Amino acid sequence: MKRQAWVVIGAMLLGVPLLAQGKPLTITGVRGVTFGAVLPGVPRVVLRTDPANSGQFDIKGPKGGPVLLSFVLPLRMTGPSGALMPITFGASDAGFSSTASIGNQVGFDPRQPTTVTFPNNGNVSVFVGATANPTANQRAGAYTATITLTVTYL
Amino acid sequence: MRITKLSLAVAALVLTGTTIQAQTNNASITATASVQTPINVVGAQQLNFGNVFPGVNKTVNATDLTNGGRFDVSGQASTPVTLSFTLPATLSSGGNTMPIVSYTGVHAPLVTQVGGVAFSPAAGATPTLSAIGALFVWVGAQVQPATNQVAGVYTGSIVMTVVY
Repeated sequence: MKRQAWVVIGAMLLGVPLLAQGKPLTITGVRGVTFGAVLPGVPRVVLRTDPANSGQFDIKGPKGGPVLLSFVLPLRMTGPSGALMPITFGASDAGFSSTASIGNQVGFDPRQPTTVTFPNNGNVSVFVGATANPTANQRAGAYTATITLTVTYL
Repeated sequence: MRITKLSLAVAALVLTGTTIQAQTNNASITATASVQTPINVVGAQQLNFGNVFPGVNKTVNATDLTNGGRFDVSGQASTPVTLSFTLPATLSSGGNTMPIVSYTGVHAPLVTQVGGVAFSPAAGATPTLSAIGALFVWVGAQVQPATNQVAGVYTGSIVMTVVY
């Protein structure tokens, strides 16, 4: 009986460090992708390294753990009276920064789920660039679309 | 037996704790853009040579407000644009042709041609739309009827393309 009790205590102790790693996973949309003024027929590119116009997510989570990043990316932006404008994402339009710094990114394809490893402090940032492709007769006005990042601790 | 149940309960807790690690979370940001006014081009006035006589060249200058061809452009205010042209080498009347050469151009922010700038349509130009988003473009040329030019009405199309 005593032996069983020690097994229980051991299991509880084992459980403690596992739970201690369970830092809440939080993700914040810090900044949207801003194309600014766009002329009909002239594509506008925003690089993920653009400190003013690139999109940014800040993530706080597990220390040193593998994490899956996956995006839901729009194909079009919606404008006045339902007008649509294509928006595209390239193979290196997302960047992962283990130091939460725009100047220290590793590019990845936002169109594919990507596994990254969190640093020991658990604080990272993900940056996003994109290209707006207005047609030659694109209706004038404000256009918007939503970019969603889902983070899963593996 | 009581301890065994307790062990199972703790094991369940540990397992539960482990499951909690597999967290998922998400957030969204917005992509925004402000599309400016599209370009609109109107062929406002034909390039008109009027009566032409065999063997006598006739020129209409781009500065000729009455007979020069004119395109009216509207778009985003104070924005540079690129003008390019498709220029016919001949005018046609049925199966007969007549050479048209020496194209000239003027672009200006006002329809009166005040502030106009001369340019070569063959080379194109890169003017800037006015503060109200307007631009006027005139085209002139010379026709060279042969001495045995067949009488008739000769026409051809001049196409101007404007892009930001």
